Amino acid sequence: MKPLVDLNEVGAKGALAEEAEGKWGMVIDQDLCTGCQACVAACAMENNIAFVGEEDAGYGRSLQWMRIERFWEGEYPEVKMTPFQPTLCQQCGSAPCEPVCPVFASVHSPAEDLNLQVYNRCVGTRYCANNCPYQVRTFNWRDYDRPEPLNNQLNPDVTVRRRGIMEKCTFCIQRIHRAEDAAKAAGREVADGEFAPACAQACPADAIVFGRLDDPESKVNQLKKQQRGVQLLEELGTQPRVTYFTGE
Amino acid sequence: MVAENVSLLAVFPDLEPAADAIDKLRGMGLSDEQMNIISGVPVTEAMLGRPNQWTNVPRLALGGAIGGFLIGIFLILTPLIYFVPVGGQPVIPGPPSVVVLFEMTMLGMLISTFVGVFLDSGFPSYRPMEYVPEISDGKFAVFFYCPEEAQDKFTKAMTALGAEKVEVAEAKQL
Amino acid sequence: MTATAQHMDHSHNETMSHEEHLREQHLMLDPKPRGEMNAMAMEAMHHTTWKFWVAVIILGAIVLVGLFWSWGYMIVEGLGVAGVNRPVYWGMFLVNTVFWIGISHAGTFISAILRVFKAEFRRPFTRAAELMTTFGLIQAGFSIFMHMGRVWLSYWMVPYPSQRQLWPNFHSPLMWDLLAITTYLLASTMYLFLPLIPDLAMARDRSTGWRKNVYKVLALGFRGTEGEWTHLRNAMNIFAFAIIPVMFSVHTIVSWDFAAATRPGWNSTIFGPYFVVGALHSGMGAVIMVLAIVRATMKNMKYFIRPEHFDAIGKLMLIISMTWAYFFFNDYMVQWYGGDKWTHELLHFHEAGPLGWMWFAMLIVNVAVPWAVLWNKKWRSNPWVVFVVGLLINFGMYLERYIIVPISLTINRQPFTWNMYKPGIEIPLSIGTLAFFILLYMIASKLIPLIPVWEVEEGQMAHKISKFGRETVVTVSELE
Repeated sequence: MKPLVDLNEVGAKGALAEEAEGKWGMVIDQDLCTGCQACVAACAMENNIAFVGEEDAGYGRSLQWMRIERFWEGEYPEVKMTPFQPTLCQQCGSAPCEPVCPVFASVHSPAEDLNLQVYNRCVGTRYCANNCPYQVRTFNWRDYDRPEPLNNQLNPDVTVRRRGIMEKCTFCIQRIHRAEDAAKAAGREVADGEFAPACAQACPADAIVFGRLDDPESKVNQLKKQQRGVQLLEELGTQPRVTYFTGE
Repeated sequence: MVAENVSLLAVFPDLEPAADAIDKLRGMGLSDEQMNIISGVPVTEAMLGRPNQWTNVPRLALGGAIGGFLIGIFLILTPLIYFVPVGGQPVIPGPPSVVVLFEMTMLGMLISTFVGVFLDSGFPSYRPMEYVPEISDGKFAVFFYCPEEAQDKFTKAMTALGAEKVEVAEAKQL
Repeated sequence: MTATAQHMDHSHNETMSHEEHLREQHLMLDPKPRGEMNAMAMEAMHHTTWKFWVAVIILGAIVLVGLFWSWGYMIVEGLGVAGVNRPVYWGMFLVNTVFWIGISHAGTFISAILRVFKAEFRRPFTRAAELMTTFGLIQAGFSIFMHMGRVWLSYWMVPYPSQRQLWPNFHSPLMWDLLAITTYLLASTMYLFLPLIPDLAMARDRSTGWRKNVYKVLALGFRGTEGEWTHLRNAMNIFAFAIIPVMFSVHTIVSWDFAAATRPGWNSTIFGPYFVVGALHSGMGAVIMVLAIVRATMKNMKYFIRPEHFDAIGKLMLIISMTWAYFFFNDYMVQWYGGDKWTHELLHFHEAGPLGWMWFAMLIVNVAVPWAVLWNKKWRSNPWVVFVVGLLINFGMYLERYIIVPISLTINRQPFTWNMYKPGIEIPLSIGTLAFFILLYMIASKLIPLIPVWEVEEGQMAHKISKFGRETVVTVSELE
């Protein structure tokens, strides 16, 4: 039966779960990760993430799009550190955050095959945040100050969000677009490794690898094919685009 | 002008005398359309020996339900106007469509029922009408048209059956 | 001559015949002339004491500060002044929403389900219950708008043809909520208004001055002709039958806000009927509280609202409490047995966490107290006993929703994010909605007759005491 909407025509192939192959993806090697949080800082700088202050951060209102989760095993003094876990938006192929937004502010991108957060459409119901099993979505609980000279650090490629809006990691979509535009102007495809999102660029241990999942030659695809990759909460069927090498 | 009709209002304290009055009026030559009962509590037409009153409300309710259903179908099909993909679910999802259809059908039915009462009863109507305030105190008023010459005859007949008062029904502001 | 009913002395029980006893107990067997009942209803409406005005002023002040000023402050400052955080993105605002929608179900239950089942004891208080539905839904509406981050853009949830060609997302349970709650609010307001028309006509006939003008407009020119009654009663029948599935669907859809989500503890298939029964549970408790207060504070109400009504509602409360316990145990047992790691964490957190007392308190007041008290007819018939039981049940049901929303949200599959919820500005806002509910109710009780006198008379016409063999019985004729 001919489908009601031809996904090929609207450029949305891969947008729906059955066809979700993924385009942009990431591999994070937890063995290499030192927990230095350079990725967290770089992400905050690149994406104009506000600083919420000590009190709000302690109450769980930190706006960081990426977090390094630290756990340990055992009781003091026999405590063993487990690998650091950088957690960011998994850009799920079958994202639970998407169907639940009443105003279509959390949608799937047909072109980049990412999960988009449309800032100027969000009305702040926060259902998407509740439904994210990875809890990677953050909310602007207030309007946050950027006293001089912090406002000079703002990235002109990225919007500044006001209170009442959800936000989350975008795989630095502004960098993706920049690279794609440059490549299109030069009449070629984006080369693997030509650009990287802020976190991958900043990581001193090169623990984060980013690239095209549908390109068999790309580094991220090569790494993903290795047997030791796992995905977070795989049993939920969210089809995340981030693969972890757990280092165990 | 030949025989002019005058409208009379006879107020009865209870159901039985009012039903008797209706029979009497019918016996005196009035047709059912020339009579009406105004009461403060609903009594079925059968209790008064009257023909069943026609009402459009159920048909309007059905029409409204269909209208609501059609609006629901339109809402469900809006993704075809502007396609926005949301991960994991088909473009026109099944169970959510059922929910939307149900709610819009019920909304259509209930609004049209409500509006149907207004349309059928001619609400709101603020022009002067024949009425006496005793009706809302539980009295039964028989309101009928009779030829002017026979007014006394009818008045006596009603009083004989127990009417508390029989007066010419004037249209007055409620 | 006063219009209040004479209270018979119970110590002379033996000398009172069975018939007189029945008449004293049952409103339907104790008819008064309609004009007298009308006067009683009108007097209850007109009569105010200084205590009434003091209460109105205090409530008004609470509403102004607790509701409107606090909400304005929150809109300007952002939701940071509330207590929500990660992972508890929904807090007391959602609890309040579910709570008020629950309360609103009582009105529909009484005026629709009891009407369909021809339970005659409903007659004097259908309007009092329906007012609770409308005013409760208003508070629920406030609460849901409060929780939105950019409430000034909430109109985007309304399906209208916009220049951007964007329509709302009907995949989302929040959109189903919007449709369902709008339908229910409109339907119950219309259902409140239809039986009110004849009483407004009565009030129009008995009023002077500005009141008469208001009632004249609102009564739409109703006289009571055959046609008008036919259309009205036909419509009321359609409404009574149709509003029952709407009522069930509304709270089921609200429950799907939670059940459709991926959270442990939320993704439970039994949430639909569980929430509906929970709504009835808290709603009936609230109705009994309102009736007890109305009977105690308004003139002439002791004639219309009698211990038999509290007895009947008390029986319903007991049955609903048992039903609620059944659904709660269903949900709990299946989660406990299932063995899912995160669900077990959540159950453990419910019972043994810092707010574990809420879980136990909920079970005691929702189940143990009603079961211990409401089996006894004498206790059930005492307005103040059932008032206390109703109050406790409402407290317990509020705790139940508090456990389901903020407490359950603390536990998710990412332990690194677990955080407790501490309400901030939600507290004055919640108190504000409660005060607004009471205020609206008090004002409404002085603007419209609270008792549907024509329905009471209709019922009294249908009831008779007759003899069946040697026994004196009550007979009800089917007048419809």
